[in-house]
Amino acid sequence: MADAVDGSLADGGRRGWAIRHWAGLRNGVVILVVWEFLGRFGLVAGGALPAPSAILARFWLDRGDYPEHVVATLWGASAGFLIGNAIAVLAGMLFVLSPVASRLSRGINIAIFSVPSIAISPILVLTLSGMAPRIVLAAISCYFVTMTATVIGLTQIDQRTADVIRAYGGGRWKVMRLVRLRSAMPVILGGLQVAAPNAVLGAILAEFGGGGRWGLGNYLLGSLGRADPARLWGIGLVATAIAGLAYLVFALISQRVTGASRAVTVTTSVPPLRAAGGDNTVAKVLLVAGSIALPLILWWVFVKALGVPELIARTPYGVFEHLFLLDSSPAARAKLLQALAQTLPITLVGMAAGLAAAFLLAVSSRLYPGVTRAFMPIALFTQTMPLIATIPLLVLLLGRGWSVTLWITISVTFFPAFITLAQGISMVPRAALDVPRAYGASAWKEMRLVSIPASLPYLFAATRLTVPRALLGVMIAEWLATGKGLGNLLNQSRGYLDYGMIWTVATVSVLVSIAFYQLVVVAERRVLGRLGMQTAE
Amino acid sequence: MSAQRGIRIDNVSKTFSARGKRIEALKNVSLDCAPGSFTALIGPSGCGKSTILRLALGLEVADTGSVEIGGEAPRNATSAGVTGVAFQDAALLPWRSVEANLALPLDVLGLERARYAGKIASLIELVGLAGFEKALPGELSGGMRQRVAIARALVTDPSVLFLDEPFGALDQILRRQMNIELQRIWTETKATALLVTHGIDEAVFLADKVVVMQSRPGRIARVIDVPFERPRRTNLFSDPRFHALNDEIATVLHG
Ligand SMILES: Nc1ncnc2c1ncn2[C@@H]1O[C@H](COP(=O)(O)OP(=O)(O)OP(=O)(O)O)[C@@H](O)[C@H]1O
Ligand SMILES: [Mg+2]
Repeated sequence: MADAVDGSLADGGRRGWAIRHWAGLRNGVVILVVWEFLGRFGLVAGGALPAPSAILARFWLDRGDYPEHVVATLWGASAGFLIGNAIAVLAGMLFVLSPVASRLSRGINIAIFSVPSIAISPILVLTLSGMAPRIVLAAISCYFVTMTATVIGLTQIDQRTADVIRAYGGGRWKVMRLVRLRSAMPVILGGLQVAAPNAVLGAILAEFGGGGRWGLGNYLLGSLGRADPARLWGIGLVATAIAGLAYLVFALISQRVTGASRAVTVTTSVPPLRAAGGDNTVAKVLLVAGSIALPLILWWVFVKALGVPELIARTPYGVFEHLFLLDSSPAARAKLLQALAQTLPITLVGMAAGLAAAFLLAVSSRLYPGVTRAFMPIALFTQTMPLIATIPLLVLLLGRGWSVTLWITISVTFFPAFITLAQGISMVPRAALDVPRAYGASAWKEMRLVSIPASLPYLFAATRLTVPRALLGVMIAEWLATGKGLGNLLNQSRGYLDYGMIWTVATVSVLVSIAFYQLVVVAERRVLGRLGMQTAE
Repeated sequence: MSAQRGIRIDNVSKTFSARGKRIEALKNVSLDCAPGSFTALIGPSGCGKSTILRLALGLEVADTGSVEIGGEAPRNATSAGVTGVAFQDAALLPWRSVEANLALPLDVLGLERARYAGKIASLIELVGLAGFEKALPGELSGGMRQRVAIARALVTDPSVLFLDEPFGALDQILRRQMNIELQRIWTETKATALLVTHGIDEAVFLADKVVVMQSRPGRIARVIDVPFERPRRTNLFSDPRFHALNDEIATVLHG
């Protein structure tokens, strides 16, 4: 049987494959049957969980509505996907070729990574028109993942092959063209895979910001008040199917490409450190200042270039004015602080709980490998589900109190964190585990000595990754369900046409997210530095 | 290649600092390889042999001293297509076939592949890989990959040839064969050759001059001339004078 699972026997391998797939199919059927039973008899949250057959029936009735909504969302998502990823790959190349550009753009990159897309969705709708807000938000949602993947892929090359290029007088551009780009392909494709569901989510969130009649987001908003769980589930499942399909397509392409590009032997050389500005303190300070100023300058240019009336499109100064210089400023500050006091604690608690659960499950999966094997497909599946598809469902299941916010935060933190941790831990070389075992260490001791320390870099990476997601989750829940906190303030200000407040909430939520992120980065450097470990991407 | 070029390394020192520790890889090393000569570098692991090669190729910059190839700075010589190199690791691009890997220097130098098609085919033949033109490196054995790297070093008809332990992964018989082939190629092209090796017999068989190095700091202990007439044949391996010279080098190496 072990042979069959290893696939080391040709025939056994095929049998193992069949067995695995059969097990997956069986589990799927069991889940469907149980779900049908629970739904039929309204056993979950007073009928908030409809039976699959009911969802299908509803879907059939609504079938005339779907095409136009799907096409509209797909349009925005794909245009944004193309534009965002093209920019991301070019930017990644630029950052690898020029360390100065990379340092200067750090502020912009962190801002784009941290921005809870729902916070800027009303702003985009105010300042742009037609499909533009959806395309831009979808593009922004893709940019960071693909840019990071590109930089990682381009830098993690086999230095020995780059040496061959340089030995024939090739410069940075030749190394880029002949080695880096091709060797980065699998990593970039991996990035596109993750970016695809992000683009769908971005396009849908932009629909929330207003304007437009078509699109799954509009459909969802329009159906939210009608207490028809089956339809909400249908919309959620369709959105998930779109994102999942995009994910699959890139997974298949990347499987094709990956085969040939693995280095044949293990490289031993460390990539050279790239320190822009060198030891020059003045240059370093200038770079940091530039990287902070650049996002503000871009914002200012964006607003000025669009020529939208000043009342609607605020500059950084406009936000400052709104908060500090006007007669209404104290009231605005009070509202903002109250919203922050509602949003921040629940974000922190949810994140901590989600991360802790992911850490425990991932580490203990070393002891019970079956846990990861059973759980990983579910976790990966949730990654292709646009957040927006799940939140209305959780609202249906849990009501509109604080518990829904908490659960949303936990779930948006838990799954990506678990994936990052489990994959990180699986990269710990077997040999490192065999040493304690060879000396007769117990499973628990081995975990304490190897697995837990080895997974620390991944815990930090997971935390960095989930900060903006957690804030986004909380704000969407507040916007759609609980009527509290920053998300609600944003939605309210939209209703009252309180432009100053819209821009202020957007700015503050980005700043909060950046502050969180930077805190994690500092803690990470401290802790890992003391342990002599490398940060994980 | 028409013009002959020598290698001149003048009083070069190179220190690496890695994680706070400083390693004197080379200290006051001077080495002169006359145009058309064959020089072998031999020495314990970590004594700086590869570093000398990397300095000569402009991949590292010396802290002090100077390196010249045919009177030019290394970067100029390499980008003019004067040099050929086979590294210690084969360093093949995993997504390129054997053929395409051989063409890599041409791509870097901006030379037209089509004009070298015959050259590439004959080199593949020479290193005994006929039939593997379309194979990817992952489908080859370690020794086969090394032979691809050797063929790649020769593709531009270099007038200065750097070889860093190119035969390390080959068995004894194949190694002898490749030694004889290398001697033939070298005689035909009149290239200046610098070979790093761990095999004393290989060094003596091939070189005009064997440079013995020692480590910590990396330095040249002695330069020993090899007097045997050329072309050298396999019966040299059983010549008593050959063994005497081998023993002399071994004494310097271990002393
Ligand atoms: N990039 C680098 N960073 C730090 N130290 C280096 C670097 N390259 C080489 N060294 C050090 O310089 C010394 C000489 O290295 P080199 O590779 O030249 O040795 P070598 O003689 O070629 O050894 P071998 O026969 O094992 O290939 C070694 O001590 C090595 O650790
Ligand atoms: Mg070496």
